[in-house]
Amino acid sequence: MSSKTGSLRVERLTKEFGNGKEKVVAVHKLSLTINPGEFVTLLGPSGCGKTTALRMIAGFETPTSGEVLLDGENLVSMTPDKRPMGMVFQSYALFPHMTVFDNVAYGLRIKKMSSAEIKSAVAEVLESMSLSHLANRAPNQLSGGQQQRVALARAMVVRPKVLLFDEPLSNLDAKLRAQMRIEIRNIQRRLGITSIFVTHDQDEAMSLSDRIVVMRNAVVEQVGNPDEVYRRPASVFVADFIGRSNFLKVEGAKKARSGKASVVVGGVELEVAAQEDALTSKHPVLLVRPESISVTASKSAKPGKSEGVVSNVVFYGNHVEYTLNTDEGVILAVVSDPIYEEIVPVGRVAKYSFDEDRAWLLPSESEQATKEDQE
Amino acid sequence: MKSSGAKYDIFTKLALLLVVVIVGFLIVLPLVNILVYSTQPSGSAIVTGAFSDIVTREIIWNTLKLGVAVAFLGTVLGFIMAYTQARVEFRGKRIFHVINLVPIISPPFAFATAIIVLFGRSGMITRGIFDWRPTLYGFPGLVLVLTLSFFPIAYMNLLGMLRSLDPALDEAGSSLGANKWRIFRTVTLPLLIPGFAGSFLLLFIESIADLANPIIIGGNYTVLASRAYMAINGDYDISLAAGYSSLLLLPALIVFLIQRYWAQKKSVVSVTGKPSGRPTLVTSRFAKSFLLTVTTLLTSLIILVYATVILGAFVQIIGVNNEFTLSHFQYLLGGFANAAIRTTTFLALIATPIAGIFGMLIAWLVIRKVKRGSEALDFMGMLGIAVPGTVIGIGYAITYNDPVKIGGVTIFPQVAGGAAILGGSIAIIMVYVIRSSPAGQRSGIAQLQQIDPAIEEASASLGASGGKTFRLITLPLISGAFLSGLMYAFAHSMTTLSPIIFLVTPDTSILTQKILAEADQGRYGNVFALCCILIVLIMVIGGLINLFVRRTQVSVDRPMVAGR
Repeated sequence: MSSKTGSLRVERLTKEFGNGKEKVVAVHKLSLTINPGEFVTLLGPSGCGKTTALRMIAGFETPTSGEVLLDGENLVSMTPDKRPMGMVFQSYALFPHMTVFDNVAYGLRIKKMSSAEIKSAVAEVLESMSLSHLANRAPNQLSGGQQQRVALARAMVVRPKVLLFDEPLSNLDAKLRAQMRIEIRNIQRRLGITSIFVTHDQDEAMSLSDRIVVMRNAVVEQVGNPDEVYRRPASVFVADFIGRSNFLKVEGAKKARSGKASVVVGGVELEVAAQEDALTSKHPVLLVRPESISVTASKSAKPGKSEGVVSNVVFYGNHVEYTLNTDEGVILAVVSDPIYEEIVPVGRVAKYSFDEDRAWLLPSESEQATKEDQE
Repeated sequence: MKSSGAKYDIFTKLALLLVVVIVGFLIVLPLVNILVYSTQPSGSAIVTGAFSDIVTREIIWNTLKLGVAVAFLGTVLGFIMAYTQARVEFRGKRIFHVINLVPIISPPFAFATAIIVLFGRSGMITRGIFDWRPTLYGFPGLVLVLTLSFFPIAYMNLLGMLRSLDPALDEAGSSLGANKWRIFRTVTLPLLIPGFAGSFLLLFIESIADLANPIIIGGNYTVLASRAYMAINGDYDISLAAGYSSLLLLPALIVFLIQRYWAQKKSVVSVTGKPSGRPTLVTSRFAKSFLLTVTTLLTSLIILVYATVILGAFVQIIGVNNEFTLSHFQYLLGGFANAAIRTTTFLALIATPIAGIFGMLIAWLVIRKVKRGSEALDFMGMLGIAVPGTVIGIGYAITYNDPVKIGGVTIFPQVAGGAAILGGSIAIIMVYVIRSSPAGQRSGIAQLQQIDPAIEEASASLGASGGKTFRLITLPLISGAFLSGLMYAFAHSMTTLSPIIFLVTPDTSILTQKILAEADQGRYGNVFALCCILIVLIMVIGGLINLFVRRTQVSVDRPMVAGR
């Protein structure tokens, strides 16, 4: 049932609550184009507007301004029941007075399908999600994971053009969450339904999405595929929100002949890739992920160039985490598959290094913030 | 989180319009008329002389004194009963609980007459056992009867709060070294302060609004409600009645507003969902025997009152001539009360479903649909219980004894009085509806707040319209509240008196009014027999309503499971 329909466009979508002094902007001019069959995640800390954005797409909130277009048709004035979308709720929202079968059949009955059609459609979807044996159970007799699957089945069985997920995995334990992630992704790929997934969990966003929309304070910070937001974040905020980061002090940032940026870190000149505003920034910082940094013991008693004092070491078996005090700031380094005897102990001087290709120059956070305020 | 952003659908708009129209005619218009009539000479003399005129001032003082005394005693008793129920282990707990709740749906006069028979000047206990001849008529009798009638409100209120207190709070206190008495003083009591305030205010409203007991047992102790009643039945002066009604309306509404929007918001009792342990029980022998003594005494008193009512219905004159007889019932069922039984039951049965659905509709609009002004809507729905029944009855008599006209055009027909269509029964149904829908509204709101709004959104996202979602999802989920709303509406309609006194006509004879007439004549045998008839009617028909609603619920569900 893969189809070419389900292309969703969101144009300058804005939501303001209250008015006058108490006015709160929940979503500010969100624009986004989602291709048929694409899996897009809205990611951000709580209060960033991601859920409000999703609820406007679903029709549960009326936008203050802006448009939601599905295959070219404007949906804004359409009530939720008229929109060809399915939603999976954080609380699952199963109808407690109906069995699993009746929950899944609900949307089909609203569509006035014949009971024979309903029976086979429901049986099919329950089978595909290994829920057949639970058809006559009440929702409160199911485990969290089972309820989650019923909620998904109920939303999918009506064959919506768009599936919306509002933090559906946040009530599950870690193991189940990882398992459901894979299940959701497989089903979505198989059916090719355009999907929008809201979460504050970066692991979920990274592992599920074709593209990630990182939101902060009602605005979009970055739209990109998982590799882009991780390796080439648009801002210090994105870098910090997704994964762990080191932001190293740099000197003498200038444009290199290669088109990249040339910076000096710890007395070493490097050629690194840079975000577009980084070179005009007064104090750019260099993003290096902890796993990109390697650490070796140094013979010197005082730290020299590209060296620092080990202030903390945590051994995890499969990796070891160092905290180094350096002139470029406190550096976190994760060294995987460590040899126990070679671990540098606390108080000793260690040399750190990283591949310049794994680094990314960013304008500092405070400058970006003031720039936004001026807008 | 309510769907604060979505526009109102057509179903919501129609429902809102309906609610506003119904509330407008059933309560707002009569109240407005009370205020208008109280500006006419005899009424405005009362209102403007409220503080200067000695007689009026004394009536106001009597009313407030009664309100405060009953509210205080009722709250204390309610708390002792609730605390015993929640924190003391003893045999027969359940039975005690049920007996404590019985007075809530008691017929009017059952308490007053039984107390007179038991504790009055020639009371079976006061004179019969102790040869003591106290005077019950007046303040002491009123306080006793009203406290007994209304303490269950405080009991329920405080019991609910005590049960929702997290037991871990007590455990935290004791792990910090506090003994049980200290925990009681420093943890339990402070957390219940909003509950005490709320109970006090509710009891205050109930006792200043009461009319039945001041008529029967008040003697020379006149309160605003009984004075307004006399203005209609003795002075035949509507404006005078409106004046006293305004004086009664004001404190009642103010206290109601304080109770709803201040005392309830102060509540710090958190509902954690998962009680994390068992409540600490009272083990001190002294505390336990004190609590159990008070509880047993009060519960025995309630049993004694009902025993008197039942026995009194089957003997000649209880306490004087205890010979078994069916003569009271023969007299009542032989013609005196037949019409009243039929009419009362019939009108209550018509009002019950209307009140039930109306209450659910307001609850649903308040919790789910209305964004701005949901508190105002909630308040409008609660007016029927906030306004004293006497005031409503007089307001109806003023408003509906003639057709309501605007610029010469009749917008509402004459529905009250003997000359009205259907003998004035429509006004009585209207009063039943507006008086009893607030209970359904409250339980509906409580239940809706427990239901995740996402459940209704899920229905919408699966393609169901607003009306369909209300019918297929919301109504079945609040059916418990609906049922309890129906039961309450029926019981309350059957036992309501104060507004009805002003609306009965030769064609619409009402049971509670018959009881008043018999009590007034001192024919207590008939009063007790009528109370028994009323109790049996409520139990039998209430049970049938219960069965009927459960039955239809199943048949509503059946098509939904046919697909299996």
